[in-house]
Amino acid sequence: MTLVASLVADPTVDRSVDDAVARLAEEFSDRVRPHLIVRVVRDCRRDLGGSPVGALPELVERLARIRLTEAVV
Amino acid sequence: MGFVDVSGVRHTLSDGRVLLEDVSFRVGDGVRAALVGENGAGKTTLLRIVAGDLDPEVGSVARSGGLGVMRQFIGSVRDDTTVQRLLVDLSPPAVRAAWDAVEAAELALMESDAEPAQMAYASALAQWGDAGGYDTEITWDTVTVAALGVPYERCKYRELSTLSGGEQKRLALEALLRGPDQVLLLDEPDNYLDVPGKRWLEDRLLETRKTVLFVSHDRELLARVADRVVTVEGGTAWVHGGGFASYPAARTARHERLAELRLRWDEEHERLVELVRTLQQQAKNSPAMASRYSAMQTRLAKFEAAGPPPDRPPEQKVAMRLRGGRTGVRAVMAEGLELTGLMRPFDLEVWYGDRVGVLGSNGAGKSHFLRLLAGSPVPHTGAWRLGARVVPGFFAQTHAHPEWQDRTPVDLLWHGEPGRPGVDRGRAMAALRRYGLAESGDQVFRTLSGGQQARFQILLLELSGATLLLLDEPTDNLDVLSAEALEEALASFDGTVLAVTHDRWFARSFDRFLVFGADGRVYESTEPVFEETRVQRAR
Repeated sequence: MTLVASLVADPTVDRSVDDAVARLAEEFSDRVRPHLIVRVVRDCRRDLGGSPVGALPELVERLARIRLTEAVV
Repeated sequence: MGFVDVSGVRHTLSDGRVLLEDVSFRVGDGVRAALVGENGAGKTTLLRIVAGDLDPEVGSVARSGGLGVMRQFIGSVRDDTTVQRLLVDLSPPAVRAAWDAVEAAELALMESDAEPAQMAYASALAQWGDAGGYDTEITWDTVTVAALGVPYERCKYRELSTLSGGEQKRLALEALLRGPDQVLLLDEPDNYLDVPGKRWLEDRLLETRKTVLFVSHDRELLARVADRVVTVEGGTAWVHGGGFASYPAARTARHERLAELRLRWDEEHERLVELVRTLQQQAKNSPAMASRYSAMQTRLAKFEAAGPPPDRPPEQKVAMRLRGGRTGVRAVMAEGLELTGLMRPFDLEVWYGDRVGVLGSNGAGKSHFLRLLAGSPVPHTGAWRLGARVVPGFFAQTHAHPEWQDRTPVDLLWHGEPGRPGVDRGRAMAALRRYGLAESGDQVFRTLSGGQQARFQILLLELSGATLLLLDEPTDNLDVLSAEALEEALASFDGTVLAVTHDRWFARSFDRFLVFGADGRVYESTEPVFEETRVQRAR
């Protein structure tokens, strides 16, 4: 756990989606269509609503990765 | 707003003895109350009842405002507890529960990255945020910077055993004083703190608006901080509504009042018994007196059923007889003495009859210096010697005698040691009785309380016939009464005394002071010097 100061709305929230999409697109480009990656990441972001803002980027990317991995297996 | 309300509490020991009976007191909002009493009177038990660790057999404890507890063992933690764990344990229950949930979720994630584990982790983090966990982490950062001089992230995995006793205490105190709990229970918060640390503690307790109930034997701390004194004695507790300055007089007055009430009750009882006897005789001769006799019998029965008022508590009798003996005029001489790596060379002359307080920084070599004079092999350069007929007697801090741990006081007295002849059981018990240790004579040393161990060590000094007393923090574990008995014994001791102490009250009874500075300088002073800071060491 790291210090995460604020739970108020923060640009990090949207970045958590954008950054995850960018990284996962690179990782899964040969197996999954880009719009599916965006959709999965957005779903993850929605499912993780209420989580601490500072932890969102890690949580979203991690959850999206496992869902995508399961989808392509 | 925080308060503690103890009402009609009773506690019985496992052997059936009633330790506390009908204990009632209130510590109101913002009050700083000291809890005092002799060693073994039940202070820690009462504190555990207030903390909720023990359920009272009868009676109740009401609290409000959140309770923060600092246990006595903080300062002597030697296991693998980390700074982080200590801070979590000192946090409110909701924060602790949220922390444990996050830890469990993190562990589960290490095992499996599956979606349920990830969702559980996210949920635990949300719970951590809801419980105020992130704000708490910011407070922890402030706490570690204040107590240890390093940010939380850099010291959270550090084991407490690598910190000094004073650092452990200060860390816990900073956490509680800066935390959200409005009622603090502090069991001997000043133990292990040097004098600047004790002054810091006093200032912090004076400025806090929290409600504080604390146990301490430090008379200076009690005098400066306490605005109420709760005394545990005679199996119950009573409250002095003023500070420690007026406490001894209030206690004496209370004891006299109790003795007076008991005397009156005894007199009235005797009078009623006599009346019953007289009426019994008269009733035999005159049937008219029979009804008066019967009425008087009923009155006596009711009087006895109501019971006597509580008697004055038995005084703890501690009679220390440190005799000593005449020695050469120069008791200790040192020239260009330097304990390797600890100080700069210094000269010293201590005269027969001197009372020298050894003060200064922690880690500056004070205890090593006493040990050297006691004859232990301590690396040094320069010269030192003791005068004619000077027999050193050394009082070490209680943990310094591993060879005593599994032996009983009677056994230790019976066998004796070089310079101290053994004594038979009768004489051993008589000596132990004078030190209030008769009931502990057959208990192994390690199970004695700190105060009992300290008193036993002073008894050994008495029996050894020492003419130079070398005392290392002798009052650290003594209750107030025992500390005063030691001061009286030292005042009448025929010989020389060198004592390392952080007890400012005790230090006042010394004539001159040898100060070990943080910069390695050793110098003499006619006044006690407590401002020397800790010797710096690498972190």
